[in-house]
Amino acid sequence: MVEPSLVLYGALYERAMEVLEETLRETGARYGLLIDRKGFVLAHKEALWAPKPPPLDSLATLVAGNAAATQALAKLLGEVRFQELVHQGERMGLYVDEAGEHALLLLVFDENAPLGKVKLYGKRAAEALARLAEEALANPPKLSLDTQYREEAKALLDELFGN
Amino acid sequence: MSTINFANREINFKIVYYGPGLSGKTTNLKWIYGKIPEGRKGEMVSLATEDERTLFFDFLPLDLGEVKGFKTRFHLYTVPGQVFYNASRKLILRGVDGIVFVADSAPGRLRANAESMRNMRENLAEYGLKVEDLPVVLQVNKRDLPDALPVEMVQAVVDPEKRFPVFEAVATEGKGVFETLKEVSRLVLARVGST
Ligand SMILES: Nc1nc2c(ncn2[C@@H]2O[C@H](COP(=O)(O)OP(=O)(O)OP(=O)(O)O)[C@@H](O)[C@H]2O)c(=O)[nH]1
Ligand SMILES: [Mg+2]
Repeated sequence: MVEPSLVLYGALYERAMEVLEETLRETGARYGLLIDRKGFVLAHKEALWAPKPPPLDSLATLVAGNAAATQALAKLLGEVRFQELVHQGERMGLYVDEAGEHALLLLVFDENAPLGKVKLYGKRAAEALARLAEEALANPPKLSLDTQYREEAKALLDELFGN
Repeated sequence: MSTINFANREINFKIVYYGPGLSGKTTNLKWIYGKIPEGRKGEMVSLATEDERTLFFDFLPLDLGEVKGFKTRFHLYTVPGQVFYNASRKLILRGVDGIVFVADSAPGRLRANAESMRNMRENLAEYGLKVEDLPVVLQVNKRDLPDALPVEMVQAVVDPEKRFPVFEAVATEGKGVFETLKEVSRLVLARVGST
């Protein structure tokens, strides 16, 4: 199976952002991210009061790697999947859930967010986002990146990596 | 397949450094990290054992800049080369857009090079991918070794059909590192919009 490109834009993207926003509001979590299985951020939302988040690239990559490893473990044990994943430290915690086959929901929360709420609304959000991802996959956008894109990109390669 | 984020106007590519244990994959990434200016790179993440062998992956995000209104980024990964980490290696290949195969010039590693390439084919096959369908660049590393094998000999075991562009490298000194990265990036970009 070749990994399909999950592309969220326009109305679907807006709806994903609404789901994330509402989830932050209901749970009191700090950050909500929708990530593809390769570890790229598709959408992210921060609570207005939240401090600056850690690098999102690193977060997304590690969460995707972790989820992939967890899924492989489930398979080894003959399970289709494990339930959502919660990591909790003294102050900060992570909630990770599958948003369908091709995406992951990540919520980052602190000690003020009740875990029960995080789990309840996290699960609901994951289901809503899974449906959006399905829709997005069913309607892939026509990509109009052309030769001009390639030419310009090449010039930047020279600049960054030298001639 | 590249990941395109229209909302944030981003286009992202995943490049994986593959090859046998100790061939110099992590060394490539460390060199790149050290040379790319701030602002064009993110944090480097290394999941390694205490003796610095890659356990899961290394990760380094690079910013190419804005192309036709799209922020274009490369996510570089290395796999753990040690044979028994195959389960992790397979996971890293998911969604790969381009590969740098880092081979070792040491005479004692000829067979490990060949086996790693075979292993890569098998792992790609699990995702329905063929090596032939992907941009792959061969880097023959550790050219500084006094008993380094001829490049042709290394090439003969990993790519007998001479399909992939070849670069000689001494990753510890940065020789050939950017040349390799630039070529794989070029090949990956050349496929944008052409599918
Ligand atoms: N002489 C020489 N040594 C090198 C070169 N490149 C890397 N090394 C050394 O080889 C050793 C292994 O390098 P790594 O980059 O950690 O190898 P790796 O491919 O990431 O290994 P795994 O993580 O186990 O897969 C280190 O001691 C490096 O300093 C080179 O071009 N010449
Ligand atoms: Mg390594």
